[in-house]
Amino acid sequence: MSQVISKEDLIKWLESLLKDRTVVAPVAADGVTMFRPIARPEDVVYKPGNATLGPKECLFPLSHTIFTVERNDNGVSIVPDTMDREIVVFGLRPCDAQGFAIFDLPMLGDPADPYYKDRREKTTLIGIACNIAPPGCFCSSTGGGPHDATNLDVMLTEVSEGYIVQAVTEKGKELLQGVPLKESAAVPPPPPDMPLVPTDDIVAAMRRSFKDQYWSRLADRCTHCNICSYVCPTCYCFDIRDYQQDGKVHRVRSWESCQAPGFTKLAGGHDPRPEKGAKMRQRFAHKLLYFPEEFKGVLGCTGCGRCVRLCPVNIDIREIASDVQKIGGG
Amino acid sequence: MPSDGAALLPHVSTLRGVKDLTPDVKLFNIEIDDPQVRERFVYHPGQFAFVSAFGVGESPFGITSVSYRKDGLEFAVRKVGTVTSMLHELEPGAKVGVRGPFGNYFPLHDYKGKDIYIIGGGIGMAPLRPVIRTILDRRDDFGKLVVLNGARTPNDLVFADEFELWSEAPNTQVELTVDRGNERWKGRVALLPAVVKELAFSPYNSVAIICGPPIMIKFTLVELKKLAFSDEQIVTTLEAKMKCGLGKCARCNVGDKYVCRQGPVFTMAQIADFIEQY
Amino acid sequence: MQMQEMQEKIRAKARELLQSGSVDCVIGYERATDGKTARPAFIYTADDIDRLIYDRTCVHNLAKYLLDRKDKTTAIVAKPCDSRSVNLLINEKQIVREKVYVIGTVCQGMPDVTWNQIGEENQERCQRCAQRTPVMYDYLIGEPADAVIPTFKDVEEMEGKDIADKRAFWQEQFSRCIRCHACRQFCPGCYCSECFVDQLDPTWVGIRKTTADNEMWNTIRAFHLAGRCIACNECERSCPVNIPLSLLNRKLEKDVGDMFEFQAGLDSEAAAPFATFKKDEHLKGVE
Repeated sequence: MSQVISKEDLIKWLESLLKDRTVVAPVAADGVTMFRPIARPEDVVYKPGNATLGPKECLFPLSHTIFTVERNDNGVSIVPDTMDREIVVFGLRPCDAQGFAIFDLPMLGDPADPYYKDRREKTTLIGIACNIAPPGCFCSSTGGGPHDATNLDVMLTEVSEGYIVQAVTEKGKELLQGVPLKESAAVPPPPPDMPLVPTDDIVAAMRRSFKDQYWSRLADRCTHCNICSYVCPTCYCFDIRDYQQDGKVHRVRSWESCQAPGFTKLAGGHDPRPEKGAKMRQRFAHKLLYFPEEFKGVLGCTGCGRCVRLCPVNIDIREIASDVQKIGGG
Repeated sequence: MPSDGAALLPHVSTLRGVKDLTPDVKLFNIEIDDPQVRERFVYHPGQFAFVSAFGVGESPFGITSVSYRKDGLEFAVRKVGTVTSMLHELEPGAKVGVRGPFGNYFPLHDYKGKDIYIIGGGIGMAPLRPVIRTILDRRDDFGKLVVLNGARTPNDLVFADEFELWSEAPNTQVELTVDRGNERWKGRVALLPAVVKELAFSPYNSVAIICGPPIMIKFTLVELKKLAFSDEQIVTTLEAKMKCGLGKCARCNVGDKYVCRQGPVFTMAQIADFIEQY
Repeated sequence: MQMQEMQEKIRAKARELLQSGSVDCVIGYERATDGKTARPAFIYTADDIDRLIYDRTCVHNLAKYLLDRKDKTTAIVAKPCDSRSVNLLINEKQIVREKVYVIGTVCQGMPDVTWNQIGEENQERCQRCAQRTPVMYDYLIGEPADAVIPTFKDVEEMEGKDIADKRAFWQEQFSRCIRCHACRQFCPGCYCSECFVDQLDPTWVGIRKTTADNEMWNTIRAFHLAGRCIACNECERSCPVNIPLSLLNRKLEKDVGDMFEFQAGLDSEAAAPFATFKKDEHLKGVE
């Protein structure tokens, strides 16, 4: 037997959450779906697969002031940024939640990033299982799956009567208090199939192929446009700069991509990694070699398929994973 | 490595002293304002810290002072970009930020009883100075000490006012060289690698610690290898563009090694093994 | 000429160029991993010729890749829009004519193409495109077709709106911008070794990604392309959040056309209005 919430009760639940929390969910804008704070439950867009841009911004803003430096009579004080409201991220997919779990590894590792930690603690994740896996998806090859509730607080799975509700964590249980759920014989549909991407040997294969010409050939068509890094749920590289505004100094952190010019360029002009091939290799080596070697085999990829669907020149991580495992007699 | 949750927050500090070392290098002496933080801020030769010029940004600098002397955090800063240009404008009394200490350090305890050859080019002397001071302060723990310092011109020798003090220590030699002399310069005019060849250091029970521009390191290495120094006996400190110092912004890596966490101090043997070669 | 025939001619010419050693590389199109659309291909040996394809999904402008290969001789497959980009780069002395072999293709337009998705009808930009035949080429594939009179209907419609509506429209669009700079990376006209947005001293825009900063980025880029943009639409095609960037660029294209009677990329020797100083030039209406 499962617990089910009707679509009408779901709307009421979202309305009650909106009273004292920010609810961030997929909304539509000119043909793309992005996670934005919603004013009403009706603003949420439900479409198969994950949103064009994921909810990464909720825990890791596109750009934000991490602290301000203020001068006063006592001298200089540094005021760190904290999030003042609890937020609920609604409608994220298991791949997005797995993205957060992957983010936790470097960001909460000692010493923990205080800005990420603050947001993480104040955020609850209500996910929706995927009953359709659009082309490009391959989450079942990267340690997750379309019905994987592991990294969520509450998991919803759509059935004819509404959604099966699964409270995964204590935080999730708390959020569900007072929410009307019905006992039902409904069972989740079987998780959708998706093409398998073999990843068993990928870490060793990345090491073996490191010096191969493959990377500079691959980089021929890459324009280092940064789209892959920005839409990726697990890319966490950032830049930090100071700005002066309203008489205060703002230290701003923003997303940056290892593909950007100047990523490794030192003051004085020397760039130790100027070649396209080395830049391209850095992206995949970070995700598929350095990250799993540092974090006990966890791949830096959730199989969400966004980079596959959005790369304008079809640099496809699934193809790369397969190609690399063939280099060097793998 | 500080392990409090505020590792991205700089400690408010005051610039206590500014000294001109060369036309483009200044020595900054900085004191962390909070006395408890100042007490806890213990570091070792080779480590670095981020200095914030509030309003412009932050950059990593090798710490050129020694912790145990407790006479302020010193950085030798060359004016080369936006942050360093701003720092060069500051007067004593100005407020700056300090974050650190980060990185690994020279394992000086492993060098006890050995002959130490310190080879520094230009601003590369900055992370080597605390090594020299520590050796001089515990002179009997180490064998022969040779400091070979090269620079483009005599005016670019960064710690020129300390050479006399260093050379006065027992069993210690200071050798200088410049790429181009001037009317007053009576010393050697030669490139550093040529001087290494001339001085013919012995690799027996020795360690060579080198730091300087990449091209100087490259050719000095050639001479040291000719003198039969093994890769394990040659130590250097790497530079990289950094933003966090904690291994989180993921940009200072050479392959799978983060210069801010597994470095910046590496032996040549370790560097030769790096999966990515710069 | 049918696409299949065009593909065969491209392969034959590419084979000839590579086997004779006249070029180091042929940049064309190959099949993408979705099995139905195209992606750029770099062919270095005649053995790989059969990777080359040509069909209605070959929407990418390959001219930008020439900038990575300035010291080598390269052949590229160029549609009429792409050929104008090649002219632009020659005009601005970024590439040398003798080092490029242009395999020009006559084009009747192509649909919107993204990974695994091919649109039904021609892209909007193809429906109003002024060229059907490449404006320059070394080898032409297809029967030369007449040019179409260009239209700026969409620009005129926006011009007709009042300023508050225009402002609101663009602010809404730029609020979605994530500053990936894909528009810049794909634009053949954007090749500055240090882009103004990356400059720190002075910091013109910087790394903050607020709507105001995004407005600055996008509008200044549009101004830097005034008189240079050939409306190949790569910026809009690559934008992951669907900002209608080409509309902005084409407003300036229309204005430059009206004020200077100039269109970029038609003639590699032409004096471009913002790159040419004339002593006797003065602003209209100013004595």
